[in-house]
Amino acid sequence: MIAQYKHVTPKGDILLLQKLGEKLRGKSFLHINSTKEGGGVAEILHRMIPLLNNLGINARWEVIEGNARFFDITKKIHNALQGNAEAITNEMWEIHYEVNSSNAEKLNLEADAVLIHDPQPAPLVTFKKGGTWIWRCHIDVSSPYPAVWQRLKSYCEHYNAAVFSVAKFAQAMPIDEFIIPPAIDPLSEKNRDLTAEEIRETVQKFGIPLDRPVLLQVSRFDRFKDPLGVIQAYRKVKKYNDCVLVLAGSPASDDPEGEAVLNEVREYASDDPDIFILLLPPFSDKDINALQRTATVVLQKSLREGFGLTMSEAMWKEKPVIGGAVGGIPTQIVHGVTGFLVHSVDGAAFRIRQFLNNPEMARRMGEAGREYVRTNFLITRQMRDYLAVWYSAINKGKETLEL
Amino acid sequence: MVQSFEFKQCITLLKSTGKKACTLRELRERIAGASDESILHHTYQYFLKGHILEYTNDFAQWAGSSLEERALAEQLSNIDPYDYDNVGNVRSKFLETLDQYLSTFPEPRPVIPGDEFFFNETVMLIYPSGIRVKNLAEFLMAIKYVDKSSLYYHFYEARQRLGSNHDDFTVWFETVLAKKDLVYAIRAIDPFMHTLEGIREQITRIVEAEVQHDMAFAGVES
Repeated sequence: MIAQYKHVTPKGDILLLQKLGEKLRGKSFLHINSTKEGGGVAEILHRMIPLLNNLGINARWEVIEGNARFFDITKKIHNALQGNAEAITNEMWEIHYEVNSSNAEKLNLEADAVLIHDPQPAPLVTFKKGGTWIWRCHIDVSSPYPAVWQRLKSYCEHYNAAVFSVAKFAQAMPIDEFIIPPAIDPLSEKNRDLTAEEIRETVQKFGIPLDRPVLLQVSRFDRFKDPLGVIQAYRKVKKYNDCVLVLAGSPASDDPEGEAVLNEVREYASDDPDIFILLLPPFSDKDINALQRTATVVLQKSLREGFGLTMSEAMWKEKPVIGGAVGGIPTQIVHGVTGFLVHSVDGAAFRIRQFLNNPEMARRMGEAGREYVRTNFLITRQMRDYLAVWYSAINKGKETLEL
Repeated sequence: MVQSFEFKQCITLLKSTGKKACTLRELRERIAGASDESILHHTYQYFLKGHILEYTNDFAQWAGSSLEERALAEQLSNIDPYDYDNVGNVRSKFLETLDQYLSTFPEPRPVIPGDEFFFNETVMLIYPSGIRVKNLAEFLMAIKYVDKSSLYYHFYEARQRLGSNHDDFTVWFETVLAKKDLVYAIRAIDPFMHTLEGIREQITRIVEAEVQHDMAFAGVES
């Protein structure tokens, strides 16, 4: 299975994965998160677990269960960690803990290494039975609402290490904190090469006209993704360049606000026949792939962002990209080299117009983007780094490790 | 039997120290108190990034692009870490440059929130590339294709590891192949002035000339 990646990813990543696989062969590696579908974490775990097993590591993935109240609270915690002023009462923190406590009774938490994804299952560390426990934070916690971070931190400090996507997300804690960007899988349904016929099927299914440039944003319907700002930018561009806008997203079972935001977006788009709002069912990966390959320009105009992997997905498809200069987006977009970073609706509109009027520049940045993703944001590099963190935790205190 | 040269390659795993600076004064204080590993990462290891950015170390890059103190960025960028015997001396040079600048411009602006300088360290993992060579002709073939991180490990990282400002390649050329002229020519390359791909080109050119010279000496036509 790993062999399939030999022709796609840097050879050095495969070599190191095999070396680390030899060192960690037969050991168990448990991943826990809060949703089996929707969002980047679930998506990458679907692909990573079989690959880890292929390396000889006993990898498994568990999902914690919770009721609507629990996910309402964890969404508020999520928003507070991204900077919103949210009041999380003691009673709410108790529910957060109790739901994790009942999950801990049902789940087998015994493993040589345990990677806990995001704040929802963070209290599980209280029920640690052994092994190396690592908290993996996928969200932008660079300016968290202090009271909420302090409470969550009291759990994080019990882990052996923490992993953040970008250096500026890391918070001062008395444990090792590693910086590992997330990644895309080039061979998954969402990123593999598609035939012209496969692309046409999707375009026809959604009735997207191809006689004009297509602007695309793929993301959850979440206010931090600024879908209304994207519509505003499209309207500014439309005065100069006729184009269509596609806003496509899947619902996530751990996001109770999605429906409300979707309704706001529909209302704001009004009856513009050139705005396509697509609520895609889970596992619409091939359709997303086809939409990205159809697009003329791909946006991720977020106001806050964990990492914004839709940028790497589009760059992998050699598309010119425009991203909000937040979260992990500046890690992926080297401004003016692999795409453009923007700070406002006007900025987004201006850069869209630049791409639409300079196809040669768009092509050049698209090519540079693909190579940048190949060396930095593919799943093999991410797996390599997770295993390296685990191996480093086993060899704690050493700054150089020779394999 | 001739001792072969084994190409190794490396990756660095980034570790946050949790420390950051919002102003030049804070940067100065943090540099003074940072671990040697952190200084090493932000200066020497900058070469692993392949010079995609404008300046030659992370401190200069931040001063230029985030603080927009471009004159200072140029001064910091001109500090060649490979000119100094150890990390401590590199640190002192950065502090001296910052102190001088702050004495002339005592009230530099802070950065916008989120754009602070974040101090990091690394854990380096070294592993064999699977390429081992026994003579100069084989070395020439290999150097053209090895991963960039191999060049970093043997040409740049070796300078700290060996503590003599020498690289692994010339140590092998000298001790195993007894190629003194080749050693002088490679050691004359200024590591500060090239990208990793530039270093590959330089070494390839010099070794190629040496191989051709050996062939001519042995009466073999190239």
